This record gives sequence, structure tokens and C-alpha cells, in this order.
Amino acid sequence: MSAASPLLPREDASDIALFFVICALCFLAALSGLAARSAYAAADSWTDRVTGQITIRVRGDDASAARAAAIALASPGVRTARALDRREAEDLLRPWLGAAGVPADLPLPHLIAAEASGAATGVGEEIDRRLAEENIDATVDDHALWSRDVERATGSAGLVALAGVGLLAATAIAVIAFATHAALLARRDIVEVLHLTGARDAFISGLFERRFLMLGVNAGASGALLAFAAAAFILFMAKQSGDRIWLLPQLSLSLADGMILGLTPLVAGLAAMAAARLTVLRSLSEMV
Amino acid sequence: MKDRDALAGEPAVRFDRVSLSYGPENDVLTEASFQLAPGSFTFLTGPSGAGKSTLLKLAYLALRPTAGRISLFGVDTSRQDRESRALTRRRIGVIFQEFRLLDHLTAYENAALPLRVAGGAEKRYRGDVIELLRWVGLGDRLDARPATLSGGEKQRVAIARAVVVKPDLIIADEPTGSVDVDMGERLMRLFRELNKRLSTTLLIATHDLAMVRASRADVLRIADGLVSRAPVIAEPASRDSPGRPPP
Repeated sequence: MSAASPLLPREDASDIALFFVICALCFLAALSGLAARSAYAAADSWTDRVTGQITIRVRGDDASAARAAAIALASPGVRTARALDRREAEDLLRPWLGAAGVPADLPLPHLIAAEASGAATGVGEEIDRRLAEENIDATVDDHALWSRDVERATGSAGLVALAGVGLLAATAIAVIAFATHAALLARRDIVEVLHLTGARDAFISGLFERRFLMLGVNAGASGALLAFAAAAFILFMAKQSGDRIWLLPQLSLSLADGMILGLTPLVAGLAAMAAARLTVLRSLSEMV
Repeated sequence: MKDRDALAGEPAVRFDRVSLSYGPENDVLTEASFQLAPGSFTFLTGPSGAGKSTLLKLAYLALRPTAGRISLFGVDTSRQDRESRALTRRRIGVIFQEFRLLDHLTAYENAALPLRVAGGAEKRYRGDVIELLRWVGLGDRLDARPATLSGGEKQRVAIARAVVVKPDLIIADEPTGSVDVDMGERLMRLFRELNKRLSTTLLIATHDLAMVRASRADVLRIADGLVSRAPVIAEPASRDSPGRPPP
């Protein structure tokens, strides 16, 4: 005689349909999660690159630029300050003006690149004040405005992605609850026979909880794997685009990404189990 | 819940002015009062549609009465919580008119279902279940699923499932309706054996008046929603089991 059959019939067509629905929802949820995390990572990457970087444009001769560099270097919190020569200034303009270079007679501002230590604050304002005291006509840019804008924009994108994850999770739970209810109606005869044979509510509910937990975990894992494949593909395509990858959202498949992918099947399984439990116990409460 | 031993002398089934209606002008059962002593053997007869199956459903706790009180083994079932009602159900073997076997389970698994539900270890009950199925003539159909069984075979699996736990009360709805005369007599012998040897209380709904006449059982009649105790057709029962007087 074969091993004991499960008290609930093995998967039927509706279970397979539900598997695909949960799989698709988990794929979208995991991808949204990865997108949200990558938006934050991109913001960090962008702001890390400009944090502490101070650019001083000096309108005047080389001597003014040298004095400005010395003043900047003497300011508290500044680690380095260096006047860029004309070739370095031309290099900065090359992406906009092309390989032909800058015409020799084009006047370029004198640029001083300074770097403040990470913990220092108000360094830009202090340099600006000292330059003004020395009557040097210069503009100090510590990129704070740009950095704040980037952080705000990526923060908003991250929140939208998180809201998407929440919406998808809620949709998944609603779909699972609906599907469990339908599955229960289709198997009401089994539930009734078990009930009348003396099965406790927890015993009957447990059968459905285990079934839907496994279905949720398997479908969630499949969706997460697909999301991993999609993310890896996007990462591969992004890397093909050149050395300015730091401009793109960071799909590095880091530990945080791994956690998102690992949690997806767990959350799907637990949501399916909870939905099954609530639905079954509510239906059982209608029986004597 | 009261201690089981302390309730040993209580009626196995007691209906006190039990009514069931599915809305105004649709009374299925009207103030039915009767009791079945422990170890009694009672037939429930009545015309088709009179409410025999409904009365049985009330007795095996598939329906809740709209009025009155049903006590099983001395315990008012309306006061039981779901947990203790489940335990009460384990003392009842039910043979449904439409068998209600689980299609995805084998004959053996269907018969063993109450033991499995009660958490029994298969190695402990396996031999007993197989022996029981052999006794009802299904020794070579242990692995067959209901879809491949005849009506009579399904009936016998359903009966095996009901008696496998040696319940205190067996409630059967037309248990011999789908089997031939020989098997019908054999099953009745099984019921009598359970009744005699294990003092199992039996309540059997049937149309088969010949079977009723051939037995020495008490008879409840149901007609127009009213339940009455009919004169014992064979030998009078010695037990005192008052019922609602005939109208």
C-alpha cells in the first residue's frame, strides 16, 4: 500500500493559477524593492561623490587664484586646496566641447578644487567669508544645493517604490484570501466530513495553512528568482554602458538586495498562510 | 464538561422540545422530545421528506436547532464550546445516506479517517482497519478510490469508517440502501454485534420495514415534523425510554 495520501487533494488547476498570480506579484514586489533600494544607493553614490568637494571660481589673475587657494587651505576643515591649471580646466570642459578642445583664446575662470574633511560643516561659507575679507572676487560652490535636490528626488523615488511594494503586498494578500476562499468552497465537502468526523478547527485550518504556506513560499521564491534574473540582466546592460555607471541606480546585488530577495518568499508564504487561516476559521465558524 | 464516567447512565441522545424551521411556514421539526438510552437500538422511520435526515443531522451536530435542547451523553450540546463538540463527535459514527467518502483517498484511508483525525499512529490502527474492511468484503479493494467502487462498496467503506473507532453512538441514514439483501443482513448483524458486545447506541433511519420487523429494536416515527415512539414491532424493549406521545 502506498504512503498515506494528504487529507487535502494535491494541487489542482486553481492552485496552479494561484501559483502564477503569486509568482507574478512577488516578481513585481521584489523588483520594486530592488528599485527602491537602488534609488537610495544611487542617491548615496551621487552625494558621496560631491560631499566635501568644494569648487572655487576666481575672477582675476593667476596671483589671485594662488592667494585664494592658500586662503582656502588655511580655512578650518579643509584638507587640500589646489588651483587647477588650464589643461585641467579644459579636461573638465571636454565632455561638453568635444575632443577638439577649447579655443586657446577662450578665457577660462581660475578654478580651485578643495576638499573638506567629511565631518566639517560650514566650510564653504567660511572660505567665502575669508575670500571676501581679502577682496578676492570669487564664488564658492560646495554643491550642497545640488546634493539636497538629488537626495530629495531619490528619496521621493524610493518612497514611490516602497508604496508600490506595499500595494503589491496588499494585492497579493487579497488575491490569496480570495483564492483560499474559492479553494475552500471547492473542498467544502472535505472540510465538512473532517468536521463531522471530529476534527478540531485547528486541525482543519492547519491543513490549509500548510498547503498555502508552501504554495506562497514556492511561488514567492520563483518570483524572487525571476526578479534576481531581471536585476542581473539590467545590471549587465548598465555595465555595458561605460564607466559612468555610478550615475545609474546601483543594482549591485548586495547583501540588502539578497535580503529583499530572501524575504519575498517568506512574506508571501506567511501572507498566504495567514489568509488561509482567517478564511478557513471564518468558514468553520458557520458550521455547528 | 462533566466527567465521562459520571455521565455513564445518562441518555446517549436526548431531544427536549427540539424544533427546526427554515423560516416561517417551513417547520421541519416541531418540538420533538425523545431520548435514547445508552446501548439502545432504535430505528427511525417515516415517509420520504418527513425529516428523518434532518433529525439525524441534529443528532450528529451538523445542524443547530432553532429551539429546544439536544443533549448527547448527558451534555447539553448548546453549552459546549467548539473544542468539546469536536470531542463529542469522535464518540459518534455517522453513516451518511450519500456516503460522503473523500474521492482522493483510498478505501483504506477513508475507513481510517476518524483515527487519523484523532491523531492515532497508523502502525497501531492499520491492522484493525484492514481486518474491518476484510470483514465487510473489501479486503481486495483496500487501495481502490471511491470513483472505482460500486454503490454497495462505497456504502461498506462508509460503514467501516463509522464503526472503526468503536463509537458510543452510531447514527446511520439508510445504511443498507445500496447493498444487496445478503450484505444488508450482514451489516445488520454487525450493528447488532456492536450493540450487544460494546453497548453501542444505534439510531438508524430506514425505509426497510422488513428489516425493522426482523429486529427487536425500538422505533421512532416522524411525520409532518412530529416525532413519536411507535409500538415495538418485535419483542418489547426492556429499557424505559419515554418519548413524545403520538398525536
